[in-house]
Amino acid sequence: MPVQVQKLCKTFQIPHERRTTLFENLTAFLRPNHYETITVLQDISFSVEEGESVGIIGDNGSGKSTLLKIIANILRPTTGQVKVSGRLTPFLELGVGFQPDLSVRENVGIYATIMGLPAKEIGRRMGDILDFAELRRFEDAKLKNLSSGMQVRLAFSTAIQTDPDILLVDEVLAVGDMDFQKKCFEVFERYKKDNVTIIFVSHDLAAVRRFCDKTLLLSNGRQVEFGGTNGVIDKYIYKEEHQINQIGEKKTRWGNKRIEILGVKFIDKNGKESDKFLSGDPFLARIYYEAHEPITSPIFGIVFYNQETYCYGTTTKFKKIDMGHVIGKGHVDFFLERLPLLEGTFQVTVALAPSDYKFAFDFHDRLYSFQVLRVNEDLGLFDMDGKWSWEKYG
Amino acid sequence: MRFHHLDDLWAGRDLIIKLAWSDFKLRYKNSVLGFFWSLLEPLLMLLVLYIVFSNLMRVQVEYYQLFLLLGIIMWNFLDRGTSMSTQGIVGKPSLVQKVYFPRDILIISTCLTALMMTLLELVVFVAFMVIFRITPSISILYFPLIFSLHFLIILGLSLGLSALNVYFRDVQFIWRLVLQVGFFATPVIYPISIFPTDLQGLVMLNPVARVLTMLRNCTLYQISPTTGEMAYLTLSAIVVLLLGYFIFERLEPKFAEAI
Repeated sequence: MPVQVQKLCKTFQIPHERRTTLFENLTAFLRPNHYETITVLQDISFSVEEGESVGIIGDNGSGKSTLLKIIANILRPTTGQVKVSGRLTPFLELGVGFQPDLSVRENVGIYATIMGLPAKEIGRRMGDILDFAELRRFEDAKLKNLSSGMQVRLAFSTAIQTDPDILLVDEVLAVGDMDFQKKCFEVFERYKKDNVTIIFVSHDLAAVRRFCDKTLLLSNGRQVEFGGTNGVIDKYIYKEEHQINQIGEKKTRWGNKRIEILGVKFIDKNGKESDKFLSGDPFLARIYYEAHEPITSPIFGIVFYNQETYCYGTTTKFKKIDMGHVIGKGHVDFFLERLPLLEGTFQVTVALAPSDYKFAFDFHDRLYSFQVLRVNEDLGLFDMDGKWSWEKYG
Repeated sequence: MRFHHLDDLWAGRDLIIKLAWSDFKLRYKNSVLGFFWSLLEPLLMLLVLYIVFSNLMRVQVEYYQLFLLLGIIMWNFLDRGTSMSTQGIVGKPSLVQKVYFPRDILIISTCLTALMMTLLELVVFVAFMVIFRITPSISILYFPLIFSLHFLIILGLSLGLSALNVYFRDVQFIWRLVLQVGFFATPVIYPISIFPTDLQGLVMLNPVARVLTMLRNCTLYQISPTTGEMAYLTLSAIVVLLLGYFIFERLEPKFAEAI
């Protein structure tokens, strides 16, 4: 087991009055300093299998980075223990130990050594590193004469030359332009293929979903959930919705239920129930109902949301469908030949109303959700299926 | 447990050398005269002290120039090594907070940088020996041994001071004062013989005073150290090193929080 965390607690003592010198400590000897103990992590236990990628998610201040630093042995647990077996490389910040006054080549040497690459390997890979960073021409220039973009590139191409057993990645890496992020993920994919164990802290749920087998959800330093990524992320999102419900007392279901929605299933191209769909695949939402009394021409409606964004809504009435008299159980299908969504988690509202929309029989406000995974490199919520063409005038 | 730590340090030897060497280079990189600055400083001091002491105060010491030069070089080693080390942890926050390796590597490498600077100065000393036609006897073989023990004393002091300075930032200033007093309380510029005999014993309790005297004896005056002297120096070096290491090890876990 590469990483094992057992009953880990971490507290920081924050003095009300910070005394950093001996003089201050001596003069303040008679006035006791009050410390405030802040619990940053409480009772965290989980373990990571070899070759697994684990995401750590949670709000700001939930203790994600502290946990990562404890695993990296930079901070020490207050109680509990962390066992790490194997060579661990933390990517908490790029370019640790860079010296602006030394040359590019020398800096690669220092940084690679800090990251744990043996001296002879550095010599062997120096060319690769400089080529990958596209800085071969500047190898003898002083680091301070490079642009910050070049420095990041240099640090990154050096850092990825390490061969760790365990890799810790902090959010910080996710800053940078799209191109750089893409490069990062390509490298992580490569590490993953090489069976490197990866622990990844991020706010980017889409990235965690795409990349991590398991996820740990932290909230105010407590472990809320550890398990399969999709379940944990759902829990994180639902918890947020739950909070909205409490604060705004927003109801998620209402109606007189003379005709009731029993449930909704999302069915994929293989005819199986699923909550994950590939962009562009067929999509079917099957709404099961039960009418407790005869109803004439009920209207079924469906709405797709992405968080607070209302993406698309339609009803059977909009589509000129009249179901006539309805009694007992049955189902209504909403079918898309090509799911035009690109990527993300979508919430679904399903509603049943009489033909004049005067009230609701049964309204399920965003009670269902499914995910869409993209299959191409396009970006955004929707797959508009755009095509490029050109004509040259010269 | 301790031996386990030595394994870690051995695994980090590349890093120790790399950090020490780059720091050494950085110290001279931006100056026109480069390495010569490091030679100029002790030579200038030698000149001033020599003029003052040999002419005005009439110190009667054989080879006083070399006596003085060796004293200054060795005292500088202690001064530099420990002063640089007080910044060894607090001056490198990203190496402490963003990455992990045994943190005494930072201090060992700082002391190695000081060692490199001292070795450079010793080249000048050797040149002076040639100029003054001093032929060393077999007793000079003790030099590397005594010098190594001096290094261990500096390393021990550095470990303790660097760790304390993380929590109490005025340790660096207090240590400067201690060094200034020490410069005059240790036989750097004068021979131990200026003290009355009973006071000599007291001054010689200071292991650095022993180092200076023994190094001069074996290089300039063909006197080998006695077993007693060697034993005292070895013992005190080990005590200082262990004490420094103990303080460092106790304070190290919270470096990243307190820095």
